[in-house]
Formats: sequence, structure tokens, C-alpha cells
Amino acid sequence: MAALSLFTSWAACAADPKVRDLADLSLEQLSNIEVTSVSRRAERLQDAAASIFVITADDIRRSGVSSLPEALRLAPNLQVARVSANSYAISARGFNNAIGNKLLVLIDGRTVYTPLFSGVFWDSQDVMLEDVERIEVISGPGATLWGANAVNGVINVITRPAGETQGTLLAAGGGNQTKGGAARYGGEMSSGGHYRVYGQYFDRANTEHANGTSVFDDWNSGRIGFRADWGGTARGFTMQGDAYRGELDQALPGTQRISGVNLLARWNRQLAENSSVRVQAYYDRTERTQPGTFAEHLDIFDLEFQHTLRPAASHHLLWGGGYRYAFDRVDNSAALAFLPADRNLRWANVFVQDEIALAPDLDLTLGVKAESNVYTGVEWLPNARLAWKAAANHLLWGSVSRAARAPSRLDRDLFSPAKPPFLLAGGPNFQSEVSKVFELGYRSQPMSAVSYSITAFHHIYDRLRSLEPAPGGGLVIDNKIDGTGNGVEAWGSYQATQAWRLSAGLLELRQRLALRSDSLSTQGVAAEGNDPKHQWMLRSSLNLGRAYELDMTVRHVSALPSPLVPAYTAFDARLGWRVSRDLELSLTGQNLFGPAHIEFGNPATASLVERSVFLKALWRM
Amino acid sequence: MINLKSAPLRRWRQLASAWLALIAIAAVFPAAAQSDGDAAVLERRVKATFLYKFLSYVEWPENALPKPNTPFTIAVIGDDALAAELAEFAGGRATEGRSVVVRKVNDPGEAASAHILFVARGENPRLSQLVKATQSKPVLIVTESDGALASGSMINFVVSGGRVRFEISVDAADRRQLKLSSRLLTVALNVRVGTP
Repeated sequence: MAALSLFTSWAACAADPKVRDLADLSLEQLSNIEVTSVSRRAERLQDAAASIFVITADDIRRSGVSSLPEALRLAPNLQVARVSANSYAISARGFNNAIGNKLLVLIDGRTVYTPLFSGVFWDSQDVMLEDVERIEVISGPGATLWGANAVNGVINVITRPAGETQGTLLAAGGGNQTKGGAARYGGEMSSGGHYRVYGQYFDRANTEHANGTSVFDDWNSGRIGFRADWGGTARGFTMQGDAYRGELDQALPGTQRISGVNLLARWNRQLAENSSVRVQAYYDRTERTQPGTFAEHLDIFDLEFQHTLRPAASHHLLWGGGYRYAFDRVDNSAALAFLPADRNLRWANVFVQDEIALAPDLDLTLGVKAESNVYTGVEWLPNARLAWKAAANHLLWGSVSRAARAPSRLDRDLFSPAKPPFLLAGGPNFQSEVSKVFELGYRSQPMSAVSYSITAFHHIYDRLRSLEPAPGGGLVIDNKIDGTGNGVEAWGSYQATQAWRLSAGLLELRQRLALRSDSLSTQGVAAEGNDPKHQWMLRSSLNLGRAYELDMTVRHVSALPSPLVPAYTAFDARLGWRVSRDLELSLTGQNLFGPAHIEFGNPATASLVERSVFLKALWRM
Repeated sequence: MINLKSAPLRRWRQLASAWLALIAIAAVFPAAAQSDGDAAVLERRVKATFLYKFLSYVEWPENALPKPNTPFTIAVIGDDALAAELAEFAGGRATEGRSVVVRKVNDPGEAASAHILFVARGENPRLSQLVKATQSKPVLIVTESDGALASGSMINFVVSGGRVRFEISVDAADRRQLKLSSRLLTVALNVRVGTP
């Protein structure tokens, strides 16, 4: 009994920091502590007229995941499927595919989709998860602010400012599938700024087919990087960069190699009380050698400018522009060619958005972006949003938008084999895929311990990518699929006690895609993606006294139709032990119960996702 | 091949028992129930921590810290709980090479020798009197009341977006020969320059 009451008081302490615990925080961190909300969610979330879910640093730590794609499983409004040890299919509101192209991903303001297929090579994108501040996941279009490709969603990975990652952090872990480690050091510069440097390495084991043979997809990757910040919101400058390389096994004829380097600078200045500017520039180089298929060397230069101002009391105006230049050089193989092999790509955009306070509780946001690309010229990307703050913690919102997925090299320049007669040819007239989107959402925190969000959406798709028979035989890429996507996204959380939090998420999706009447395709619509009708998850985060944390997640994904992938339910758990103020140990298990399952691909050739365990030590000095 | 009939059933039983176990664990550890006072407690502790941190981001003139071992003094008027918690933490602790003394004060005369004077909301009506009593002394006056900067406070806490933030009057600090670091100005919600 005595032991029990001791635990009880410890539990109260953990969620109830004393001055002693707070004194270790920086000024910035102190001013970010929410003192009026139990949920510890970003406050502006309550006001955003969009379907936005924020994965916090604490969510990531408590989930025990060791990679960015696995961390994205925490967002109920994303579909995340593991294709193999080194590849993921990630999407929002459908069209999930290992080469999905309707989701825009940014890491600290740097767009990481490749113009090769307008999607993300998830094996090349990573961050040191311990230094992530939050991941904002917006389902639905974000084209007015983020441009073409933000058709069905935007993921913003945001790392902490260097001032908040001071000192030494060492992380090391190992398990039956992954082994790895990371180190970071942060310090102060004599000029008043702060910096950090980090390095990390991991090795992931092969997966197996259902018949027990190896997929030959083990891989390893190493990454180093830095970030330096001077000043703050009034006047600030940030520089950051990363370099990485990785080796990915494949069945034959040899190991795939990836590498890359990027460097970004961002400058912000407050001009007056309600006026500020931000300028950002970066260089991003990626290399990929896939023996037997292709090799790519891609250099991207990107420049962006934005200005916020308040021309009148009821208007918040945001306008800006950007220019992006890419040199893409491909080494073709006999099996597959991008023609021309080298192409220079350019995108330019201007945008304006005005947030108008129609009444104290009613905000109207109107915005439009014009973005040009080398293939189709200018795309107009408008949106209108209305938010009604029915009461202090209740927000009802609706939106109408147009988003476009501009052509990529895959749509226009891809040929297979490399010489005629082609079995597959890029579409010389391939146009942008267009989506018109209607959304209605409600978000509420009816009491301090309960919050939830519900969004209903209706997407109308025009000119989706199809494969038409070519006049001389083979197939040619065209735009002859139309369709709709309807669904509901909902999530909520309940802080049952100070030490116990329950969260749940639900996704319902009904997609109807059909070939246009003038299509002669025999390929159908299966290549667009393979999506479940429902997906749900339940999470429990429990503090067991001051030193222990127990987190459990059950997630369910219903069957994928074509190719048929059976429904699965997975159970993940993590037990964390704060040994001392500086040392934390954790044991994470994924897919703890039930047989190994596949998450994506043709069941005969897909990778099985098996039970995994991972033991990790985290040491802060 | 997976036995499609029994595997899901077994899995569901396992999941159900896992959840039952979880609920049992939660029942054994009934953490302190959430009360309305918790937010106020956290707000007070964050403010106390800020007061302690300000010592590192403000430069006092030499005459305020004549000896290398002159301790920092934080005087608190009108919030005994904050004073007690800050004293419990800061007592015997050194920052910038100096120990920290926390005092509950009531008499304006006692405040004049402090490095930081925190005037709690309840004592705001006496703010002008306190400003006068400490005039020409290098005392950093910190408040938590709307409009306090206009009455001579240098740093005023405000709760904005559910968080404890602060606004700064640079001129009021200048008049007391207090130099506020640029880091402090950066974190501030609002910096006032050129107003009384």
C-alpha cells in the first residue's frame, strides 16, 4: 500500500513539473509551455481551417519508432504502408503507391519530392528524430501556399532551432531488424548564435517473402548534418545542411547506391509591428544508382520569398513568390530510358492570400497561386476557406480549392525499352492532373481533457494518368481517367488522468475512378493506387510513476482491392524507463501479436512485415 | 498459408486481453485527478523559472554587484507561493557565479536593494508607489498585469495562446542602467521602445 501511494505521488510529479525541472529549459521552450491546456497540442491548431494533425516530439519519442516513415504512422490522416525494408508507400486520401505523387513533403522548408516522378524516395529522406520539434500533417489540398503536388496532402517536418538542442545527445539501439546510433552536439557561438552538428547511421535487415525466401532488400545509411540559428522571430538567420549516403540491396544485378547533400539558408526580419519578410534559398543534390535500371544525378536550386502584413485591422495578407531550377541527368539502361536523358526543369510561382476577419468569430481566407512548369505552362491554384469560431473551443470550417499535379519526367519522358519499338512511351501531351476539393470540418475541445476533429471531404479528379494503346503498338501515357474520392477523417484524444492519455483515429475512404468514354485502355485504373476503405487506430500513453512510460497502439487497415492485400491489425508497444535525468532506456515491439502480414504490393512477391523488437538507450549530457 | 478462420479470432482475443491488461494497470495507478488549480500552479512555476532565468540575460551596473560574491536578490511582493517555490529551487544554487537569495517583501523600502522585484497581480495597485520607491536604483521590475509597462514595469508577463510570454520596455530598463540581452528581446512577445 505504501508503495502504491509512492507511485501515485510520482505520477503526479511527472505531469506536473517543478521549477527545478523547468530550469533546464531555454527561454524559448519556457515560453512554449502551455499552461492552460492539458493536451499540450499547438494552440493555433484549434484555429486552422484545415484538416491538420500535429505529431509532437513527445509522440515520436513515445512511439519508439526509428525512421521518418514509421513516425508518420502516428498521423491518423495518412496512409502508411511498408513495401519492403527500404521502401514505403505513403499517401493521404487515397492513391497510395510506391511512386505516389499527390503528397508534398517538406523538411524544414525544403521540398523533398523528386521531379522524376513527383513523389518521394523515402529511402533518401531522413532526419535525426530526436531533434524533430513536430511534424505537421495536412490532409487535403495545400496548393495555394505550397504549390502543385500539394493535391491530397502536405507533410511539414520541422526540426528544433539549434538553441533548443544544446549539449550532447547520444542514442544507440538494436533489435532483430534495425541497428543504429546517432550523436548530436549543440553549442553557442561567440556571435550569439547557436549551432548543432549531428551524425547517424543505421542498418536494416532483409525482409522475406511469404514463401520464406529473402527479398534482398537490406540496407544501411549514414547521415551527417548541422544547423545554426542567429536571432529569433524579429530578426533571424538560419543555415542548415545535411549529407548522406546509403546502400540498398536488390536481388540482381547489384547494390543500389544513394547519396546526397543539401544546404539551406533562411533569413527573416520584422519590418514593423505587423509586417515581416522571409527569404529562403537552398541547394539540394541527390544521386541514385540502381544497377540494371537507371542512375540519376539531380541538382536543384530553390529561392523563395514571402511577406506578411496587416494593411487594415481586419486583413492579414500574405504574398510571395518562388523560383526553382533543376538539372536532371539520367544514365539510361537498355530496359528503361528517360528521353531526353538530361533535362533542365524550371518552376516559378507567385501567390497571395488574405485572411479577412468578417466578424470577431468569422474568418474568410481567399488565396491564389499561379505556378508555371516547363511542361504545361501556368497552373492556377485558388482556394477559399471560411472558419466560424462558434464558441471558444469550437471551430466549424469549410473550404473549396483547386489543386493540380504537374507532369513529372515519368509522365512525359519515360520509355521502355530504351529503343523503339517501345512497350511503354511517355505521353507527349500529358497534362496536369486536376483536383477540385470541397471540405467541411469541425474541431472541438468541449472540456479540457477531451478534443477531437472531424473532416468530411469530396474530391473531384480530372485527367488522371492512364495507359492508352499506342498507334504503333505498346502503351502510351495519357490523361484519360476521371473520378471522385469521398471520405471522413476523424481523431480525438482523451486525457483520462494526468498520467493516462487515450487517442483514436479513423479514416474512411470511398474512391470511384473510371476510364473516360474516349479511352481505349485495357489497363483499368489499378495503377492509380491501392487504398483501404477503412483504417483506424487506438493509442494509449500511460505514465507509470515518474520513471516509467507504457505506450500501446492497435492499428487496423482494411483490405486493399487490387492487387488484393488482406486486412491486418497490428499491435505495437513501447516500455520506457527514465533511469536518471540523463539516461532513458526503452524497449519497443511492433506487430507483437498475430502472424506476419504484408502491407502493400502483390502478395506473392511482397515483403512480410514481421514482429520486431528494438532496445534503445538515449543519453543526454 | 495462414489459417484465415482462426487467426483473426486468436488475434482479437490477444488484443482484447492486452487492452484489459492496460485498463487494469491504469486502474492501479490512479494519478492525481485534474483540478482547476493545476493550470495556475504551472503558470506560477513557469513565471518563477523565468524570474530565475532573467538573471542570466540582464546586465546590472557594477555598483549593483560590487563584489564578485555579492548574491543576486529576487524580491517578491504579493505571491508567497511563488516566492516559496523559487526559494526552494534557487536556495544554495549559483547562476553566473553568484548565489541567489529570494525574499518575500512587503515594504517598498526593502525592494530597493533587490536586483529583480516581482510585483504580483494583487499588488499592482501599488506599482506606481513601488516604482517611485526604487527610482534611480538598478532594480528590474517584473509584473503580470495588463498595462503595467506604462506604469514603469520593465518586463510584464502575459498569457498568450495558453503560454506564458512577456513584453519588455527597453526605455524603462535603460533608465535604470539595465542592459537586456538581445536573446531576451528576441523571445519577448512585444518590445516597446520610445514610450514612457
